[in-house]
Amino acid sequence: MKNLQKTYEVTQKVERLFEVTVTQTDFWEAVLYISTQTEFNTLSQIACADWIEEEHFLLTYILTTDARDKNLMLKLTLGREYESMPSVMTLFPQAEVMERDLHEMYGIGFEGNETLYDFVLEQWHDLPPLRREFDTLAFVHEHFAFKGGREDNKDVKVEQKRRREEAKKQKALEAAKQEAKKQETEKQETEKPKEPNTHATDAEETQDKKPDTKEAEDGQ
Amino acid sequence: MQKGFVAYNNEQKSLEAETEGIKNSQTLIQKAMNWFSARSMFVVAYGTGCGAIEMPPVFTSRYDIERLGVVGVATPRQADIMIVSGYCSLKTLRRVIRTYEQMSEPKYVIALGSCTINGGMYWDSYNTIKKLEEYIGVDMYVAGCMPRPEALIEGFVKLQESIRNNTIQPGYVKYREDYAYYQANQEKLLGKETQPVYEEDYAGMNLS
Repeated sequence: MKNLQKTYEVTQKVERLFEVTVTQTDFWEAVLYISTQTEFNTLSQIACADWIEEEHFLLTYILTTDARDKNLMLKLTLGREYESMPSVMTLFPQAEVMERDLHEMYGIGFEGNETLYDFVLEQWHDLPPLRREFDTLAFVHEHFAFKGGREDNKDVKVEQKRRREEAKKQKALEAAKQEAKKQETEKQETEKPKEPNTHATDAEETQDKKPDTKEAEDGQ
Repeated sequence: MQKGFVAYNNEQKSLEAETEGIKNSQTLIQKAMNWFSARSMFVVAYGTGCGAIEMPPVFTSRYDIERLGVVGVATPRQADIMIVSGYCSLKTLRRVIRTYEQMSEPKYVIALGSCTINGGMYWDSYNTIKKLEEYIGVDMYVAGCMPRPEALIEGFVKLQESIRNNTIQPGYVKYREDYAYYQANQEKLLGKETQPVYEEDYAGMNLS
């Protein structure tokens, strides 16, 4: 770590993660120095991000120590127009697969890596699919057909919002209707005299009693 | 070898000619054949996608599908059933087609998961196929993401019933009769090399 801080500007990102930024020309020197003279002697990952607006790739070589207690991000930018990098296979043999993957997905060349043929995509003749100018949806609609019956398919979140709002409106309408009904019934009760109500209850009671007697007769 | 093949073809043709008019009313031999083939299903041990994880419990002691006459087998030459379990990438599809064409008839295909029906959650992926039925003949779909082992077993049982009662036209018959359609679809997607080439001499690497 002290060796590294003497020669490069090291910024600490979080507790166990450090960052060094180099240029494309200084990369090989830096990675050689770091892997031999400092404690970060293992390559764990090569990450790549496509910054299409700024017209470069951001490559991040993530190096770890033997004890796996610290990580170092070695960052550099690379032009987007099919430029190439020196391969780090001589220092880290495991870089073979990572470089193959980057070559296939972004079209980055690696000088010294002889295995840059088909990897996951087999006989792929289109643009490298993780470059951002590759239009995935257009490719899908060009090469595949979907089953019918999903033409009314809508964006889920928009549809959810619309349905919630509709449900709210309907609830409000129903509540208003119920309130109106209640008010009407209250008005009718207040307007009506009390005597007919008592008659009605008597009639109901007599009706209830009748079927009982009938059943009793049938039974006899 | 050719003589045997021709004889086999003739025998097959004569069998089909006999059974053309009586697809629904089966002969006794046909009934027996269907009964036997429904009771002995040999599944080729081949998994694509995440559904391959659901298959081990089906075949082992937890669900033990061997009690229904379904057994795993190592080579497609001896298999009756292939399960395309989940999403199928373009690279896998070449292997699937080769495996399917190596299987001897009668052969059936169970497509497991929504990805094989209409792409599923990979509907906008550049590297997975959307409809499996365009490329090989499919007999049974089991929908879900992922379907539980019970669903797969139900698929097996339904397939057995339909074989026994001869209620569906099997996928391999469609594949044989409409081979031009399937081949056109395969070539449209995969180019003229619809099957994997292993002997290719890549950039200085001798793989042979």
